[in-house]
Amino acid sequence: MNLAELQRYFAQAATSGSGPLPDLDRVFLGSERLSARDRLAIYNRSYFYRLLDALACVFTHTKRLLGETEFERLGLAYVAQNPSQHPAVERFGRAFPEYLGLLAVPPLVVDLASLEWARLCALVAPNPQQIASMRAIDSTRFPQARLHFVPSLRWLELDPGALHAFAGGVPSPTEIAGPRCGVAIWRAEHAALHEVLDPTEWQALACATSGAKVNRVCTVFDTGSTDDDVQRAFRVLSHWFERQWLESVAYDDAERRTPE
Amino acid sequence: MHRAADPQQALKEPALAEPGSGSARAHVGFGLRAEHYEAILRRGLHADIAEAISENFMGRGGRAFSVLERVRSDMPIALHGVSLSVGGIDPLNETYLAQLAELATRIAAFSVSDHLCFGSFGGHYAHDLWPLPYTEEALAHVVERVQRVQDRLGRRLLLENVSSYVEFRASTLAEWEFIAEVATRADAAILLDLNNVFVSAKNHEFSTSQYLRALPKDRVRQIHLSGHSDAGAYLFDDHGSPVSPAVWQLYEQSLELFGPLPTIVEWDEQLPELSVVEAEAARARALLSARPERRAP
Repeated sequence: MNLAELQRYFAQAATSGSGPLPDLDRVFLGSERLSARDRLAIYNRSYFYRLLDALACVFTHTKRLLGETEFERLGLAYVAQNPSQHPAVERFGRAFPEYLGLLAVPPLVVDLASLEWARLCALVAPNPQQIASMRAIDSTRFPQARLHFVPSLRWLELDPGALHAFAGGVPSPTEIAGPRCGVAIWRAEHAALHEVLDPTEWQALACATSGAKVNRVCTVFDTGSTDDDVQRAFRVLSHWFERQWLESVAYDDAERRTPE
Repeated sequence: MHRAADPQQALKEPALAEPGSGSARAHVGFGLRAEHYEAILRRGLHADIAEAISENFMGRGGRAFSVLERVRSDMPIALHGVSLSVGGIDPLNETYLAQLAELATRIAAFSVSDHLCFGSFGGHYAHDLWPLPYTEEALAHVVERVQRVQDRLGRRLLLENVSSYVEFRASTLAEWEFIAEVATRADAAILLDLNNVFVSAKNHEFSTSQYLRALPKDRVRQIHLSGHSDAGAYLFDDHGSPVSPAVWQLYEQSLELFGPLPTIVEWDEQLPELSVVEAEAARARALLSARPERRAP
């Protein structure tokens, strides 16, 4: 066997979910104390449980809700079917919420996993180059501007029960899912935060993050009552500045940013 | 193509000693771990140097990077990677190398290291340190890749020996011969992990003294210390306990052989309070300080 064949063989033995391969003794040395099969089993076990640990570090609430045994069963199946594609092990769970969504797992649990993943992404996102200040706005050109958001900001639609579970609650098995709510996730200082948005703010955020200009975003608040609409739009946009969600206000047609 | 084999001249290697001192005094520290970030931000570190896992900081912001910057303002930082897969047959990850080079420059890392192993296959990362067959083919392959990495980084790479639990029948070189040859031919340096030497020596029944004596003295540039667990039939490198007495003995032996080298204590599993890790580093510092200076870095 050449180097490539030896590495392929080793990788198969170390990552095989069904145990080590045959012919191990032809490729690896064993000893009286420890056979080649036992030696490869050390790598095999390490592979699965190191990645399971990586999932457990990120999806702590999901694990609590599923229970140790079920989380291990689902996590090990995920490890077997989703080899890591990123050099940083913490990124291994990227597809875990989606994976859970394909299984007979309650949607609330899938949403909880999505929230936990989004919080991790917010926590490790690159720092913004700057934070936009409301005071620096060019008020005459602002309606035509586009808003660029900080790299840590994420937004998800979730079952409210997932937020309850994240806060430590245990949903009842008979609990009926409520209407989904829009949630913003971001980093402030060194902590990941999330907050439920009311439907209009959620719609405005969706509009702004899709690259629409401010005047288009403001149409979301249009109820026909001009004063109220303006005040409400002002309050929401001010809120975005206050929470430091905005990296810059672009008065040209710069590209919008799409989060991971 | 082999480089000139003068490790003092061929590649850039930022000096660790205080500017102008020309002294390789006792530099001891430990690896930064997320569980300690809060304590680090609150009260800093009691160490001369610190080590950061490269992948945990590449392309990232937030708390991790704030901690790194805070530590960097107090002491030099060594970057230590786990996913370069320098022995692998997958193509080198150019994005990874670009981010590593950027990070090393940004924090002016005093060293950049990774493991002499493979950790990816078929585009997938194992997040483990898989052993190489010690063959002439593997040797040529690794030397060429180390040279490419060094060219990309513009600096010398430190290669760490890994713990292993199995050996390939195809190997024609001993592990110590392999690492010595790679370092010499590629003009790289060696990060000598003494716990790994001890664990592998027990698991494969070789002599630790023979291993240490076979390494080219002027290539060994840094030392790692950590703990392991005894699984009965084998030792397991889990970084989950204090440095064992046997490894402290190896450390003393290494200081005798290689001089007072920068030393990092690693602790990953069952992580204790920061002060416990600092105490391990202090013990290493005491041993290191007792040795005469060897040479300027």
